[in-house]
Amino acid sequence: MQEDFHYYATYCAAFLAGYDHEESLDIAYSAQFVDLCSRTFLFSIKGPSDAATTQLQLEMMDARTDIIGLQDITRIWASFHFLPKDLYAEKKKRTKRYMEKYRLICGPNGELVKEMIELAKGKPLQSVGIAMHVLADTWAHSYFAGTPSLVINNTDYDFFELFKEGEGYIEKSIKFRHSTTAPDDLENSIYTNSLLQNSENSIMNLGHGRAGHLPDYSFAIYKYIPAWKDYEEIIKDNPSDYYKAFCQMVYAMKYLRGETDEFLLDTYAYDTVKEHEERIRSIIQKRQLIASGDWKLFGEELSGKEIADFDLNKYSDEYRKADKDKKSSTFIGKFTDGAIAQKGLVTNRIFKSGNKLAGFSKELLKISRGRFL
Amino acid sequence: MTRFQRIKSFISGLLSMLIGLILILSPEDSGDIVLGILSFVLTVYGINILTYYFTMARFMVNGRLILFKGLIVLDLGLFSGSLVSVPDIYILLYLAIIHAFSGLVEILRSAEAIKFGAKNWKLKFSHGLIDLILAICCIAFFKHGETVAIVFGVGIVYSGMIRIISAFRRTTFVYIQ
Repeated sequence: MQEDFHYYATYCAAFLAGYDHEESLDIAYSAQFVDLCSRTFLFSIKGPSDAATTQLQLEMMDARTDIIGLQDITRIWASFHFLPKDLYAEKKKRTKRYMEKYRLICGPNGELVKEMIELAKGKPLQSVGIAMHVLADTWAHSYFAGTPSLVINNTDYDFFELFKEGEGYIEKSIKFRHSTTAPDDLENSIYTNSLLQNSENSIMNLGHGRAGHLPDYSFAIYKYIPAWKDYEEIIKDNPSDYYKAFCQMVYAMKYLRGETDEFLLDTYAYDTVKEHEERIRSIIQKRQLIASGDWKLFGEELSGKEIADFDLNKYSDEYRKADKDKKSSTFIGKFTDGAIAQKGLVTNRIFKSGNKLAGFSKELLKISRGRFL
Repeated sequence: MTRFQRIKSFISGLLSMLIGLILILSPEDSGDIVLGILSFVLTVYGINILTYYFTMARFMVNGRLILFKGLIVLDLGLFSGSLVSVPDIYILLYLAIIHAFSGLVEILRSAEAIKFGAKNWKLKFSHGLIDLILAICCIAFFKHGETVAIVFGVGIVYSGMIRIISAFRRTTFVYIQ
């Protein structure tokens, strides 16, 4: 997903869930900040590097793919962008090494989604924003894993875009190219993807790189054969998934605001969103590289307030100038605390499932401020 | 990292440094040793790729490509091992190209790192510079028999040092409940 959904659509979802304009902006800012809080950025504001929620292309090119490098990559990408659906999934006749990768495949409505939302309960709005980013990505990034893996994340030339015609679909073959500067050509279904690297742990095989930005476009419906699915085809219907993601965000934020006592998986705030369904679906289905303008307009109509454009450095000075003991009370301080908690949870659950791909995890029980058991 | 992985990384780092130092300190007639190391590395790499195919890639779409790659690399490794001798100039050319390319890429990346405000640009720049100097050395001293051993040895010592440092890095992430 891109800024259109993580920032503007998240704002709309927060507002519909009952947050006011300012609160919705903070949640949306935090959700979008997940895609930009890299180690390089944290270094520039002297923040904790463990709180990195993404890696810049530059950082990834430098990342070593030895065991430690892979664990670091997996902690970031599995925790914030490709939340594993089932850490105990089974598949016959596979080796342990294969299964460790297979079990990190992302998908919606896994147990970790529930744990993540419960973790954000009672926490600052920054944690809500982080959780909304991850929840939304479980829909967009389904079927890919947040760890470099050729045998899981690879795709081949057998890739088609589907266009609705009458009751059915017509297929159009997708062409991939590797130019990082040319924008995707929606009219001719020409998209940029990562180069094929035959090495299992190549950074090119991280997440949905081999499928390009297709998972990030809300309008896209496509079918392909994923590397891991025994030559079975998958049809990915983004318009349907993005709508569900939106309604699940509204439901989750209603829970986080205390409107319901329990967060249930596979439950959506369809009733709350119903009034706006047609408008939302029309934005989602529109073929465009980025839908920020449409979402922004919708959000401003909802709240009657202006939604400021996302500014990466909006809170940098506040954090930089704060005294050491006051940093955790700043916007970015609350965000980094939330990010470390989220990374800790996901790493811990992966480790407890017997999978060492995200590294080792040590549990500490917080008994009071600054004291641990 | 498990304790076993740490020990493995430490020992392989130590061995690499030892071999590198031997090459640097006694570089005479080292062409065969360099060829032997290349052949060994390619053979082990080929076997690794084949193992990867049989345990993982054979389930993957188009996984057979990995099988072919493994067979070719293994064949190349065995072939290199069977060569009686290769003129040093070929090995030097190979080393010069590798170092020049890596050096150029590192320097370009350091410029990118400056643009993003990343802290590691100095390290990248010095890596790039050293690589370029090594490439120039390969060309400038191609008539000296010891050049191959020294350049190759420096590379192995550096890789060994990185392995040893990796063996002591923190890998545990704390989860506060």
